Amino acid sequence: MIRATIGGGLVILALVFISLVVGNTEIDHNPLNWFGGVNDQGDQDLEILTLSRIPRTIALILAGISLSVAGLIMQMLVRNKFVEPATTGTVEWASLGLLLCLIFAPGLSVIIKMVVACLFALFGTGLFMLLLQRIDIRSDAIVPLVGLIYAAVIGAAIAFVADQAELMQSIWVWIQGDFSMVLQGRYELLWFAGCLGVVAYITADQFTLAGLGKNMSENLGLNYTLVFIWGILLVSVISGITVATVGVIPFLGLVVPNLVSLIVGDNLRYALPWVAVTGAALILLCDIVARLITFPYEIPIGTIMGVIGSLLFLYLLLRSEPHGQS
Amino acid sequence: MIKNSWLVVCSVMTFLIWGQQAYGQDETRSVSIEHAQGKLSLSETPSRVVTFDLASLDTLDALNVNVLALPTKSVHDRLAKYSGKPYVNAGSLFEPDYETVAALEPDLVIVATRSSPSFKMLNSIAPTIDLSVWGEGFIEQFKDRSSTLAKIFARQSLYEKRLKGIEHKIAQVRSFSKDAGKALIILTNGGKISAYGPGSRFGWLHYELGFSSVLTSDDPEQASNIGTHGDPVSFEFIHEANPAWLFVVDRDAAVGSARGAARALLDNPIIKRTQAYQSGQIVYLNPMNWYVIAAGLNAVDESVTEVLEALQKSVSQK
Repeated sequence: MIRATIGGGLVILALVFISLVVGNTEIDHNPLNWFGGVNDQGDQDLEILTLSRIPRTIALILAGISLSVAGLIMQMLVRNKFVEPATTGTVEWASLGLLLCLIFAPGLSVIIKMVVACLFALFGTGLFMLLLQRIDIRSDAIVPLVGLIYAAVIGAAIAFVADQAELMQSIWVWIQGDFSMVLQGRYELLWFAGCLGVVAYITADQFTLAGLGKNMSENLGLNYTLVFIWGILLVSVISGITVATVGVIPFLGLVVPNLVSLIVGDNLRYALPWVAVTGAALILLCDIVARLITFPYEIPIGTIMGVIGSLLFLYLLLRSEPHGQS
Repeated sequence: MIKNSWLVVCSVMTFLIWGQQAYGQDETRSVSIEHAQGKLSLSETPSRVVTFDLASLDTLDALNVNVLALPTKSVHDRLAKYSGKPYVNAGSLFEPDYETVAALEPDLVIVATRSSPSFKMLNSIAPTIDLSVWGEGFIEQFKDRSSTLAKIFARQSLYEKRLKGIEHKIAQVRSFSKDAGKALIILTNGGKISAYGPGSRFGWLHYELGFSSVLTSDDPEQASNIGTHGDPVSFEFIHEANPAWLFVVDRDAAVGSARGAARALLDNPIIKRTQAYQSGQIVYLNPMNWYVIAAGLNAVDESVTEVLEALQKSVSQK
């Protein structure tokens, strides 16, 4: 375990370093020269680092942590390993809220837009949970299928609204995950999402119990309804914030908890830190690829994550057949 | 006998007059034109015109030609008067409402670029021409399309006058732009930025108006790869390219949503370090003209004028 922790730490450090030095402006690869004020080059490096690279790297880490934690909580709440906020309508509802803001009140501040996105996400997730209660869940495939259909219906609503407003071309650009515009002063709301990830860790035991199901967990003395609502709240707010600040990043919340669960099991208190670290590592890796593949231009990270995430997911599906049935 | 000869004279006269008229009609009214998807000959000046191309609408507007129907939801700013009655909504820029078009019984339908895939279907309803403008040679294509319209509607003299004005301004722009330093064209959309090179839809700012591009000199291979939709870039990209002139097309403003979004997006310390910012040479282009209308007579005139004014302002400040 200690060896794994050190290994994980080194991987994250390496990715953070690469994320800091990869970009259009060439930066001295020796970190010691960044702060020395040795010459003009050093000053410029420091400025680019503090204005652009460090904010982008922090934003990536915060989004990676919060999204993968949100995915894990979602999986616990619906007791199914093949869901995440982007396949259960949560992210779509947040996008719809954001789209309505952009159409009817484009001048709103980012915070208000974010609050609207969170409220829509909350409503949409609640609706999904009510929907699940009315469905006879006979197999593990039902929940993700219902989620996908539900998400697709909301996606159709988004397309309809966008079409009516002649924004069909814009809407996908707006909601596609992309960190290329992250600068100092333009990502700080993500800290709130990151904090929610930490809060989730503090209440991890409750989610582990809730994951056993309503009857079992209530027999063990858990206020199931309260924990359930708390979980929905966490997932919705994290989704709302990330969609409003950096857009939709698919698959992260789906593959990271599954990867981690293969290795450390389902006890959230153990799993959560690993989910957070793996999430941060995966999103950093995808963003570095997004920056390099058509250098000096960029590809939205949502696209890269879609490719890498779906490959990982296929791998998990094919190898973890017994797990899927558990 | 006398009666008979009168009859002959009368019929000959009638025939002659009729023939004369018919001949005269031929000479002034029959126009045959070639367009992107074929040929069309018109025996009369069209009076019931439907256009799906806003550039053509803009040109017809400049030439005082009236139209019947157009995508009324897609017109803003200068063309806003076409957004309601008496103009009929003929569909969207991309999708014609065929039933409405058929019901109007037009004698000329104009499509281009965004609506050109509908050419065949529309042509089966009414005589249709495709006035698409694609790729390089923007000004040449613009002249060709607008002179076609001037010819169809017999407005050549007015057209020549306007064209001369534009060509004069282009010459003026070129005399300034060759020493003005390198330029970069970006498009902002939903809080994101794409860079456009000389091969793109805005490329005529480089090859017609004479600005050299920050994208060509260093890496020609990359520059030619820039597609018509541009490539997503970061602020750091602009910082590193460090253009002397930054031309900004605010797409969100072009389609009628938030105004001033591009200005807010570019108001950051990374952009403030660029040469363009420091010498006050960030130019916010009229997005309706550049992005939506493009090759219309008024639009090109205004586009060239706004670049000329920006150059003159910068020269007078130095």
